[in-house]
Amino acid sequence: MADFDKTNRENHLLLDTHVPVPDPPSSYHLATTPDLADTPCSSLQQDHPLLRIPLELLRKNFRSAHFELEKDKKNVVETLKETATRAVNNEPPPTEDVLKSLDAIIARMRGVKRKLAASADEEQRLYRHETARVRHLAEIYAMHTTDDVKYEVWSRTRLDRMLVDYMLRQGYGDSAQSLARERGIEDLVDVKTFEQMAQIRDSLRNGSVTEALAWCTAGDTKKELRKMDSNLEFMLRYQQYIELVRPYTPAKLSEAIKHAQRFLHPYRETHAAEVRQACGLLAVPPHRAASYPAYAALYAPQRWEALAELFVATHNRLLSLPSIPLLHLALTSGLSALKTPACHSAEGAHRQSAEGRANVASLASVCPVCSRELNDLARSVPYAHHTTSHVEHDLVLLPNGRAYGRERLDDYARKAGLLDGQVKDLRTGEVFSEERLKKVYIT
Amino acid sequence: MAMEVLEKELEKLKDTAQLSNSLANVDKIIDLLTAARSEVERANDPHVTSLTLTKLQNPVQRGLDAVLDDLKVVHKGQVKFGKALEKALTTDKDTKGSLPEDHDPMAQHPTLINRAIAMHLLREGQFGVASAFIAEAQPQRPQSSISQLQSQLSPLSPSSVTSPTSPRSPEPYESHLTPMDELSALQSETLQSSFAEMYSILSSLKERKLLPAINWARSNCAELEARGSNLEFELCKLQFIWLFKGPSVNGLPDTPENGRLGALYYARENFGRFQHRHIREIQQLSCAMVYASNLPASPYRSIFDIAMAFDEVAASFTREFCSLLGLSAESPLYVAATAGAIALPQLMKFLNKVKGKNTEWTTTQEMAFETRLPKSMVYHSIFVCPVSKEQTTAENPPVILPCGHVLARESLQRISKGSRYKCPYCPNEGSVKDAKEIIL
Repeated sequence: MADFDKTNRENHLLLDTHVPVPDPPSSYHLATTPDLADTPCSSLQQDHPLLRIPLELLRKNFRSAHFELEKDKKNVVETLKETATRAVNNEPPPTEDVLKSLDAIIARMRGVKRKLAASADEEQRLYRHETARVRHLAEIYAMHTTDDVKYEVWSRTRLDRMLVDYMLRQGYGDSAQSLARERGIEDLVDVKTFEQMAQIRDSLRNGSVTEALAWCTAGDTKKELRKMDSNLEFMLRYQQYIELVRPYTPAKLSEAIKHAQRFLHPYRETHAAEVRQACGLLAVPPHRAASYPAYAALYAPQRWEALAELFVATHNRLLSLPSIPLLHLALTSGLSALKTPACHSAEGAHRQSAEGRANVASLASVCPVCSRELNDLARSVPYAHHTTSHVEHDLVLLPNGRAYGRERLDDYARKAGLLDGQVKDLRTGEVFSEERLKKVYIT
Repeated sequence: MAMEVLEKELEKLKDTAQLSNSLANVDKIIDLLTAARSEVERANDPHVTSLTLTKLQNPVQRGLDAVLDDLKVVHKGQVKFGKALEKALTTDKDTKGSLPEDHDPMAQHPTLINRAIAMHLLREGQFGVASAFIAEAQPQRPQSSISQLQSQLSPLSPSSVTSPTSPRSPEPYESHLTPMDELSALQSETLQSSFAEMYSILSSLKERKLLPAINWARSNCAELEARGSNLEFELCKLQFIWLFKGPSVNGLPDTPENGRLGALYYARENFGRFQHRHIREIQQLSCAMVYASNLPASPYRSIFDIAMAFDEVAASFTREFCSLLGLSAESPLYVAATAGAIALPQLMKFLNKVKGKNTEWTTTQEMAFETRLPKSMVYHSIFVCPVSKEQTTAENPPVILPCGHVLARESLQRISKGSRYKCPYCPNEGSVKDAKEIIL
């Protein structure tokens, strides 16, 4: 029996070394005092788009420069040839004519120079971005634990990046810009790209396809979109068609038919159903569409919102941007990793309100899931899975059924100026004498 | 490592692949063209014209080809860098798979997220950004009310307030409003001015001025004491030491209020109120007076080593100030996002494994896999029943047996025979009704 007790005690000791001791609640830098087996760079996946976007933009920048150059080259060579041919013909044109077309060619070449210079500027900007980002990520690669003092600074910058990204995606351009400026992270975020996107998206929401169509057909975007099987351009042309039919005047209707012949007809095989429906639409003026749900849907204003969403999705895919804000991802995974069953229980609620009144010592490091900022948000995620207990190693039970670490109780008793041999409940403030404490064994 | 390689590749790319390198060749063509033009203009002769133009064909063609070749170099560089990038990003074994983009429970709660961001910005002291954000995240309202709200929000810079403001107790930010109303409530001055006060006191602390913090602690001493905080005494003690060190260290004017005499005077004025609680420390401080001439060799040197003291006291001030506001010291958004970054690889690993098996990635309540977070991110006691291996919840709370071992209530019911049980961890037996529910 005595032996058994001994082994039992030893077991407890053995186990105690495995149970993590919660930090003394004095640490201000909550997030930076961990000892973590994983190195911080195993969490880099979410930062890959950071490096990819400048490269995608560089490629895009190059392709549009190349596209323009090819076009101009063809034009210059042909014009020059034509001018030369005319000059050697039997009836040479007057010098003024030759000079005129030479001037045109020179102007064209100046245009080439201007466009190339603009592309080169953009290229420099993107190089700057990529360099800053590679350096930024190199910092985290250089850290081996999340203990590193630099980790907090880095992680804060990461949060700022995520916030700017979120704001840009939500269309809060001013906030995004001022946050990026305040934190000096302009090279780490893509304000310009997102602003262009927001502009086009908003024009779609306001019922205009012009800007989106211009984006679709600019440079070689058209080719890229075809490569990724995007139906954005078709949907835009389709909307244009619907808008031509909508007024239902003879002039507009014939315009609509011409538009369909030119822009919708080529899609008759890939988008057969839509194209057929487009023909049918001619027979259904808007005021009679109510009885034909399929046509009513075509006239519906909600289509604009859907188009805006389609554009954003296409735009993000083209630049290999994640389709949802990284902040959402981080919150989803972070909140559920932090969440415990206690966070939304009655006890949690009690704790939260108690802290609001600030009349208890409570746990100085407040759980983010229990915080007012995030509590409601965390309701939508599941709580973390644990296979081992995480409790203080020196748990004792108070007569009121609450258990605390002995060390912490003593510490609080000292701070609260209690008599020797007394302890005070950290949450309820009840005072008990030491003899009434009972050791708790957590297996 | 991977990043160093990438950095080198990027340098190479920047050195070689420059679109601006092609500009020289474009200039050459323009020169050719302008030369030809002046030639044609000067001669004004059909023969010369046709000759010039014919001679112009090939050089221009070649020039344009050269420009295109310059562009090819850029393209090649980009392709090469693209490969290096892909390689760098896929070397880590953990980073395979794509981000879980099709599951986004956060998307349904934009207002909650906006509220959290607004509070984060305020508590970080980013008042300008916060007010821009609140204005933009606000649903559209009549122009007048926006400008009205804007006018209330004069951005307060923490450093602009240098004199200690009259301390006032921060009002706990309590609210039963809907999140959207709350977002506009954040616009109101209460929270912002509270944080402005906090940052003004913190910036004073940075300048080694303790008085604003001491005044604040004094006027909130009742609440601080209830929290078991010694902040006020810690601040006063530091002020004593700071004065004690004298003008050569603290840079304050050499007056009777400074130096040892000043410290003594300060102690007499201020330490009385702490006597019953901190008598020992006060004694130590006064005894140190005796050793003033050779403090570094005295037993009191550790007390007077204040290299970190100002930072520590600033940290505990921040913590106390926030908790009196009913907030945690560290931004929950920051902690959650950092935890998220740490937990994400596991989430992705899990998703890659269940992909295609048509399984939901979580049960409704509990995650399906364990995420290891740093200890500092464990905020609640977590009790996993050693019998059922399940976490205890409000419905299935932990119970303590008279022998001191703890189980989940359901486990106890399962292992008990009628009203009796045998403890699975020691030879004790007992009655189920003696097991008491505990709160960990």
